[in-house]
Amino acid sequence: MKVLLVEDDALLAGEIAAALRRENFAVDIAADGEEGHHLGDTEAYDVAVLDLGLPKMPGPAVLRAWRKSGRPLPVLILTARDGWTEKVDGFKAGADDYLTKPFRVEELIMRLRALVRRSAGHAAPEIACGPLTFDAPTGVFALDGLPLKLTALEWRVLQALILRKDVVFDRIELMDRVYEGDAGTDSNSLEVIVARLRRKIGHAMIETVRGRGYRLTAGLA
Amino acid sequence: MLRDASLSRRLLIAAGGFIAVALVIATVLIGFVLHRFVQGQIDQRLDTQIVFLTSMLQVDADGRLSLAGNADGPPFERARRGWYWQVMGPGNTLHSSSLAGADLDAVLTQRRPPPPHDDRTDSRPWPADGIGPDQDHLHYRIKIERVGARDVTIVASAPRAAVLGPLREALVTLGLSLAALGLALVLAIMLQIRLGLRPLERLRRALADVRAGRSERVPERQPREIQPLVQELNGLLAQNAANLERARRHVANLAHGLKTPLATLSIAASDGAAHNPTILQPLIMQMERRIRHHLGRARAAALGGPVRAQTKAAQRLQDLGDALARIHHDKTITFAMEVAANLVVACEQQDFDEMAGNLLDNAFKWARSRVTIRATCGDAMVAFAVEDDGAGLAPAQREQVLRPGERLDEGAPGFGFGLPIASELAELYGGDIALEAASLGGLRVVLRLPGAVQAA
Repeated sequence: MKVLLVEDDALLAGEIAAALRRENFAVDIAADGEEGHHLGDTEAYDVAVLDLGLPKMPGPAVLRAWRKSGRPLPVLILTARDGWTEKVDGFKAGADDYLTKPFRVEELIMRLRALVRRSAGHAAPEIACGPLTFDAPTGVFALDGLPLKLTALEWRVLQALILRKDVVFDRIELMDRVYEGDAGTDSNSLEVIVARLRRKIGHAMIETVRGRGYRLTAGLA
Repeated sequence: MLRDASLSRRLLIAAGGFIAVALVIATVLIGFVLHRFVQGQIDQRLDTQIVFLTSMLQVDADGRLSLAGNADGPPFERARRGWYWQVMGPGNTLHSSSLAGADLDAVLTQRRPPPPHDDRTDSRPWPADGIGPDQDHLHYRIKIERVGARDVTIVASAPRAAVLGPLREALVTLGLSLAALGLALVLAIMLQIRLGLRPLERLRRALADVRAGRSERVPERQPREIQPLVQELNGLLAQNAANLERARRHVANLAHGLKTPLATLSIAASDGAAHNPTILQPLIMQMERRIRHHLGRARAAALGGPVRAQTKAAQRLQDLGDALARIHHDKTITFAMEVAANLVVACEQQDFDEMAGNLLDNAFKWARSRVTIRATCGDAMVAFAVEDDGAGLAPAQREQVLRPGERLDEGAPGFGFGLPIASELAELYGGDIALEAASLGGLRVVLRLPGAVQAA
């Protein structure tokens, strides 16, 4: 799960990014509206956290620009302005959720997870694929009811796959969703991660579709 | 253009204009009367001469006219000065000696006026103007007298200068007096303006004193005309002072409210407990609640006087409903609205958003599956009833939630101040908020605001 964080306060952005990474999220930070708009327009993200008061390009303008160019990316607005008029304006600009400062980072994480789950078309908080279950609100995977221990990269890959279970996930897109923007991506390492995941949940569950990508499925087990 | 001209100039221009017009009219009228008076005097003198001549007229057997004595009394004895007389009979013509051989015939035939009516002999002499033998302007009186069955025309003349000379003299004197009168009036008006406007100057000084902090308010004892102004000013000053006091109190309250959790925070930090969320979280929540509360109060206080804003309720409520459906996405809540599209409330849009948003947010928070809002119009008030199908509140709790800071459920954030803020705002607009049991089972909150259904 990869988050675009558009926040000009470096201290707050650092804190939020650290907390999100502790929860296995990949995080790209944009420090102003223009950079945020560019990243959101060109990179693949599962969700964006958008501050409203941004230098160079205000948050609502960024959001409207994304929506105008047809980006369906779920967006959570972060702002110190907590009047209802601002909230209504934010939602009308195309926001999916709204959080006012100060906030608890747990609350932010919970909402981001819910946003990503809903945008992937899952109404229920728990997603199951054969013996594997994913509890979206807590972000915990379980196999046959027992919690699964995963590294951050493993978690990101598995979460991406289970949100689109039974559908082939494009290799390149999967890599985009797993690695942060400034991390050097090594295409081999995705193979390594998938191999490790197969050892943990069973080889049959992650199917390689040659030339395209991977598919998580319970059917062949 | 006169709007920003000085008051004294305005008054002076107006008064000066009126005085000038009045003086001109007076001059014209008095001149006219004087002219008639002098003319009357001259006419009387000439008429007397005509009567005198008539009484001395004699007709001999041949029908020739003659005078029984000397008719050349002053001023008719002076030669060629314009004072002439002439008697014209069918046979002969008599001249005043002042004519010294000249004749008025030419003049008279030239400029003979028509007789006023047929019975000429009965009438008074009639006037005429003409050029005399020396090309001087003359004023005539002419009468036709019947002497021995013959018509005799008797003419007496006076120089026009005899009328105009005294008239000119009188008019010069009159003009000078009127000019002096006008000047005196203008001076009096200037004095009056200065005296009349002195209270304004006093008021300015009093205000300057208030501004400089030398006095608290403008003295109430003032001329009746500016008394209302002074009362308004003092009202404004009092309101300002109250606002300032309120602002100071808010800041002080906010500062005190933040100091306690800050103190605890600082102890926690020195104890090395700064990373313990069970200590930090409640403190942060407490500080946040303080700030929210005071921001709400500040908004409400900034409203101050009566507002004539108009907000279309239905559209705002729909937008709020859409926003809330996304905020409370974890629940599936049916939001039903019964609000006329042309319903208008008399308050700022932001404030209406704040009130309705807080009420609806509470309803969404506590509802199991349904939230409704229904608007009904009274005389000048609109009542919005927000209902949910949640657990509702016991009567004792209902009173509690309208008090700021009371949070019935610590686990559900934001309940503490929403209702009190909405209630305060509603009161500022002359409305109120009442809590009741809902027919759906949960809480029913009725927000009453001034407003009406607007004709489309």
